[in-house]
Amino acid sequence: MAGYSPNSTAKTFSFRVIMWMFSLMTVFPFGLLLLTSIKSKEDLFKGAFVLPAYPHFENYVSAWVDGHFGIYFWNSIIVVIPVVAVSIVLGVLTGFAFAFLSFPFKKLTFVVLTIGMMVPTEAFIIPLYYEMRYLGLINSYWAMILPQIAMSVPFATIFMASAMEQLPKDILEAAMLDGASRTLILRRVVIPLLKPAVSTLGLFLFIWTWNEFLIPLILVNDDVYRTMPLGMLFFQGRYTVNTPVLTAGAVLVILPIVVVYLIFQRKFIEGLTAGASK
Amino acid sequence: MKASVLDAPVRKNLIFVLPGLIIYAAFVLLPILAAIYLSLTKWNGISAPDFVGFGNYIELFSDSRFFISLRNNAVLMIFYCVVPLAIGIVLAAIVSSIRAKEQLAIRTLLFMPYIMPSAVLGIIWHWLYNPAFGPINQGLKLMGLGAIALPWLGDFTFALPAVGMVAAWYYFGFCMVIFLTGLQRIDPSLFEAARVDGAKPWYIFYRITLPLFLPEIRVVLLLTIIASIKSFDLIFTMTRGGPANATLVPNIYMYELGFHLNRFGYAASVAIIGAILIFVVNYIVHRFVRPADGRAR
Repeated sequence: MAGYSPNSTAKTFSFRVIMWMFSLMTVFPFGLLLLTSIKSKEDLFKGAFVLPAYPHFENYVSAWVDGHFGIYFWNSIIVVIPVVAVSIVLGVLTGFAFAFLSFPFKKLTFVVLTIGMMVPTEAFIIPLYYEMRYLGLINSYWAMILPQIAMSVPFATIFMASAMEQLPKDILEAAMLDGASRTLILRRVVIPLLKPAVSTLGLFLFIWTWNEFLIPLILVNDDVYRTMPLGMLFFQGRYTVNTPVLTAGAVLVILPIVVVYLIFQRKFIEGLTAGASK
Repeated sequence: MKASVLDAPVRKNLIFVLPGLIIYAAFVLLPILAAIYLSLTKWNGISAPDFVGFGNYIELFSDSRFFISLRNNAVLMIFYCVVPLAIGIVLAAIVSSIRAKEQLAIRTLLFMPYIMPSAVLGIIWHWLYNPAFGPINQGLKLMGLGAIALPWLGDFTFALPAVGMVAAWYYFGFCMVIFLTGLQRIDPSLFEAARVDGAKPWYIFYRITLPLFLPEIRVVLLLTIIASIKSFDLIFTMTRGGPANATLVPNIYMYELGFHLNRFGYAASVAIIGAILIFVVNYIVHRFVRPADGRAR
């Protein structure tokens, strides 16, 4: 875009203003959140937009210890890691089958998997609750891990299958002619070639599982198993008046996701838009 | 017939398929089928379910609270779909004309809410909207607009739009990012040519931008409409459907019926209607919002 006329410079300027206005609108709540999380209760009465005399980081300590966010944090980790790891393994295996292998009812199975992607969790949460109760898993990590793996299988499968279909056929043929077994080809040829796809998948699964609300809300009601978003809800119930500690808790919940997002944001947005435009 | 060079007898293939399918069948498919069955029964969660056929669905037709929840959902769709779509498309057009570095910064910022847990965002906005000490009303008072410092989430008229605004805030950056990638796909010389021919900006937007954006519009519509039908976390943490059903949506109603009133069969029928709505929307969008050449599925 060479040679701005004065008119177009003015236009670009006003465009810029609109653009940054919307960006400010987006980050404003998070800014306020950070600001409030380092205030004392007294600072709060001076107004929402007033800076505190000095930062009160003790709010974070009381959120972590008294607010049980320390427990919630570890619970989230304990749930997220197996869900992401197992879902990736299952996604690679089933995706491999859908991309390269033949088995009975392949088309039907695919349709059934896509149904699982569309039906909201809300629609089957009641039977799931009773199934978990029947299995004696209510109030355990399993109650959150197993259903979330199952819910991740359709997306992981379809994502990996479409990535594998794009692999150059001759590489696989060459490996097969060399007499390598299928598991060896999967481990030594397919997965190394698909590293970017696997990490994108892992990123999505991490964020979805970290953010999941309904599954732990219904299937877990003991505080020692609550994950971060759930802990936040119950913390809000207990400490309604203590806004600084509440906001410190909120920062603790979203901080890990923001960090992951900022590190991988290019990858994340590319993956999302590639998936979305399919 | 072999599917590929890697294919082998079915017995050996099943090792790859079964682990994923079994866990999927156990914790997703089985509960879905059970929910369909439950929706045809009356069940209090303790005694055996009592089969009533389509009784629950017939009852839903004369349930005024169910209709309120559907109407609220329809209103929310404006905030979930129309507002973010409009803002997203305009912002994408603006942002694309800016230097790459600034563009990246804006994209990163605007996309931020979309990756966050909506339940936690709901709690944050609950605090922002607080009538007495919430920052929004404090800000309004500072600007001398104390008269409109309403108890937003507690107000019968404004609770639904207030919740809707949060949804719009959540989705507009996402929409913009989708459209921004769409723009990269579109050949800029098309716009150039139209401009050289002296076409007005509005004409360019309507005749070139919009038709070319159809695939993106389709994706955005699909995702946001489905999200609006699925809406639960945000509303649950902000208002729980209140005040007086003002923000009641089907999923909140389902939760209440099931886990507070122990009417699990009836609750399941509400949930199934929601799932059916999602399928219908999916079908309609796939069927009617398609590029002119009809290539897309």
